[in-house]
Amino acid sequence: MTGRWRALLRLFAVQGTWNYERMLGVGMGYAAEPLLEDLKTVDPVRHGEAVVRSSEFFNCNPNLAGLAVGAIARAEYDAMPGDQIARLRTALCSPLGALGDELFWAGLVPGLIGAALAAVVLGAGWWAVAGFLVCYNLIRGGTAVWALGTGLETGMQVGAAIGRSWLIRWIPRVGAGAGFTIGLAVPLVTDWYLDGIGIAGAAGTLAVAATGVAVTRWFGPALTTLRFALLAILLLIVFRWVGL
Amino acid sequence: MTELSLTQAALLVAWGTLVALDLVSVPQAMFSRPLVAGTVAGWIAGDVEAGLRTGVLLELFALDVLPIGAARYPDYGPAAVAAAALAAGVSWELGLGLAATLGLVLATAGGWSLQLVRRSNARAIQRRAAALAAGEGSAIRRLQYVALARDAARGATLTAVGLALAWALAVGLRLDRATALGLTLVCVGSAVAAGVNGAVRSAGRDARLRWLAAGAAVGLVLAALR
Repeated sequence: MTGRWRALLRLFAVQGTWNYERMLGVGMGYAAEPLLEDLKTVDPVRHGEAVVRSSEFFNCNPNLAGLAVGAIARAEYDAMPGDQIARLRTALCSPLGALGDELFWAGLVPGLIGAALAAVVLGAGWWAVAGFLVCYNLIRGGTAVWALGTGLETGMQVGAAIGRSWLIRWIPRVGAGAGFTIGLAVPLVTDWYLDGIGIAGAAGTLAVAATGVAVTRWFGPALTTLRFALLAILLLIVFRWVGL
Repeated sequence: MTELSLTQAALLVAWGTLVALDLVSVPQAMFSRPLVAGTVAGWIAGDVEAGLRTGVLLELFALDVLPIGAARYPDYGPAAVAAAALAAGVSWELGLGLAATLGLVLATAGGWSLQLVRRSNARAIQRRAAALAAGEGSAIRRLQYVALARDAARGATLTAVGLALAWALAVGLRLDRATALGLTLVCVGSAVAAGVNGAVRSAGRDARLRWLAAGAAVGLVLAALR
C-alpha cells in the first residue's frame, strides 16, 4: 500500500469540509484517497465502492482520525464485506471521539496552555508561546503517525489495538497535569493583571469575577462567560454615560 | 493603536486568515489559540507586550470553551489578531479593555461565520451528491479545496473587518481615563471568571479536581512571592 505519507499530510486537513450532515466524512475520504490508489489497479470495482464508503458520514476527534482511516483502508485491501466495514466505521465514531476529546481538548491543550500562561507571567514572554507550539505539535504529530500506522497494521482489529494502547493509560495522567497547570495559571494571571491597579480596582475586578462565576453557573449554558462579559461591559458603558 | 504600514496590515490579515483556518480546517496546530494569535499579531504590530497581554486575557475566555463534536463556539483567533493590533502602542491598563471588548464582539461574530461556512459546505456536498455516490475522487478533492478556500475567505474577511473596526475605534473614540480603566478591570474580572469556570468544569469530581486545587495553592503562593 503506497500513499501513506500523503494520507498522513491530508489527515491534518481532515476537518476541511466539516458540516452538520456528513461531519468529517468528506475529509476522511480525502485523507483515505492516496491509500486506496493501489486498489484501483487490483480491483477497480472494489476501489469505486471503497471511495464511496470512505466519504460517508463520520465523526471523531481529528487527532485520532488516522486510526479509522488506516483501519478502514486495511479492511478494504483485506476484501472484508462492505457492510462489515460500514459497521466498523460506525463503531469507531464514539470511542475515537471520546478518547481524542478527553486526551486533546480536555487534557493536552488546556494543560500546555496553563503551563504557557504561568510561564508568561513568570517572565518567559514569547518563549512560553513558542514552547507551547513546539510541545503540542510534537505530541500531536507523533500521535498522528502512530494512529495511521496502528490503523493500517490492525485493520478490523483496531478496537482491540486501541484498548491495549497508551491512550487509555495516559488520559487520566494528562487530565491531572491539566488540572494542575490550569490551577497554577489562574491565580498567577489574575495577580499579573491586578499588580499596581490599587486595592479598590483589584476588589472591583475580583467582585466582577465572583459575580461572573456565580451567575454563569446559575444560568448554565444560556449565559456563557463571554455573554456575561459583554453584558458587564454594556452595564459599565451605561453607568458611565449617565454619570455614575 | 500604533499606525500600521500597508505591509503590517497585509501581514495581519494573512496571519488572521491562517489563524482562522487553523481553528477547524487545517492544520489545527493551535495557532488559533488567542495566546498564540495575539502574541504574533502584537509582534507584527510592533508591540509584543500588548499582544501577550491581549492574548492571555482572551485565552482565559477560550479556556471556558470545549470544542467537541458539533458544539458551537466563538472564534477567538482573528479576534485576538484585531484586538492585539488595537492594544499595540497604548499602556495596557488603558488600552486592554477596549481591545478585549472588540475581541469579544469579533469572537462572537467569528462563531456565527463558522456556522455559515458549515452550512455552505453541506450545500456544496448536496450539489455533488451524485459524483460522491459514483465514487469520484476528483469530487472529494474539489469539495475539500473549495471548503478550505471558503474558510480562508471567512478568516480574511473577519480579520479585515476587525482591523477596520480597530482603526475606527482608535481614531474616533476618546475614552476618559476612568472609563478606559473600568473597561479593562471589567474585562479582566470576566476573563478570570471564564478561567475559573473552565478549570472547575473540566476538573469534574475525581483526581483532577485535587490536582486543580494543588495547582491553585502553588499558584497563590507564587503570586504572593512575585
